[in-house]
Amino acid sequence: MSEGQGGANERRQNLIKLASAVAFIAVAVVVVLIVVSQNQGSDSGGDSNDLDGIAEVKQELAGIPQNGMVLGEPGAKVTVLEFADLQCPVCKGYSEEVLPEIVENRVRSGEAKLSFRNYTIIDEQSIPAGAAAIAAGKQGRGWNFVELFYRNQGIEHSGYVTDEFLTAIAEGAGVADIAKWNRDRKSKAVLDEVSATTAEAQELGFNGTPSFAMEGPGAEGTEALGTPESAGALESAISSAAG
Amino acid sequence: MKAPAEGTLRGVATFLATFGIGVATYIAIAESGGGSPVCVAGGHGCQTVAESSYSHLLGVNIAVFGIFGYVLLLGAALLRGDLARMAGFAVALVGFGYSLYLTYLEVFTIEAICQWCVVSAVLMTLLFATNSLRMLAYVGTEP
Repeated sequence: MSEGQGGANERRQNLIKLASAVAFIAVAVVVVLIVVSQNQGSDSGGDSNDLDGIAEVKQELAGIPQNGMVLGEPGAKVTVLEFADLQCPVCKGYSEEVLPEIVENRVRSGEAKLSFRNYTIIDEQSIPAGAAAIAAGKQGRGWNFVELFYRNQGIEHSGYVTDEFLTAIAEGAGVADIAKWNRDRKSKAVLDEVSATTAEAQELGFNGTPSFAMEGPGAEGTEALGTPESAGALESAISSAAG
Repeated sequence: MKAPAEGTLRGVATFLATFGIGVATYIAIAESGGGSPVCVAGGHGCQTVAESSYSHLLGVNIAVFGIFGYVLLLGAALLRGDLARMAGFAVALVGFGYSLYLTYLEVFTIEAICQWCVVSAVLMTLLFATNSLRMLAYVGTEP
């Protein structure tokens, strides 16, 4: 073997050793990313013994009429249909960051009303969660239930949507007759309503939550809107639907 | 067994990374604003995965990280020399490792399969194989 070949081989061996170190670092980066991914939702609720946001939700919705799952004046010109899954983290973000502005600017003024409709996509637990919201709506607390659920939403597929959790949310939302709420949420009519609104969302062509549709003098029937990226975009759509 | 010519490996990696940029960009655009990619064979797997909290890392859509990774891999495939070989190997290893984790989440945690994510995972696996072969066979040799 010539001296030149020996030098090249040695350099190659050194580079292979360097590659091993690079591989070690790359694996460490993956481990860090996994840890970050696992921890990002670890404090996100799902605890029936420690509910957050009861007073906040009560304050946000105070003085606004509720009829079933509709929030706002019954005679409001525009109806904003929100198709959402209570277990969906994007819906939670939307409920906390976008909808408060809409409620304050458009619903409280009587210009629009918000109709919550279940679009169950996360897993089977979304069905009893949605039914529990509708049952709360029968006692005028549907939106309190929805908003309080979001503020205490757990990690999806973790099994946090138990009877105990739903009952704690209902009590926190101010549902007065828990026995009636329990009967209602397990009734066929309510469970059928969850299925029906999910089918309605699919018929409107929605493939994500939350998705919105508009009804009003300026809209043609039920106008599918999709997911506006900001409160401003949703407000513009409300203005258009108002005619 | 003799490894394919480095030019061939770089060509394959260029094709895979370009394809990957397209797939990741589609996922990122489809998911912006709360939507989800359209599952080719129907079903709601893509939707369920897109709605999952695991679809974001530090508030950023995973697909955006994917685009970034594929761009780096494209750059490594287009460039010659040991630095490009090492960088391609390292980025592909990170991408492959995280793709394995995401696939595990889809199967065992989210319990839904997104076909677009599967395509991306396959591309990352092939890129890892291609870049590993390139690095092991040609590192320390003349470009």
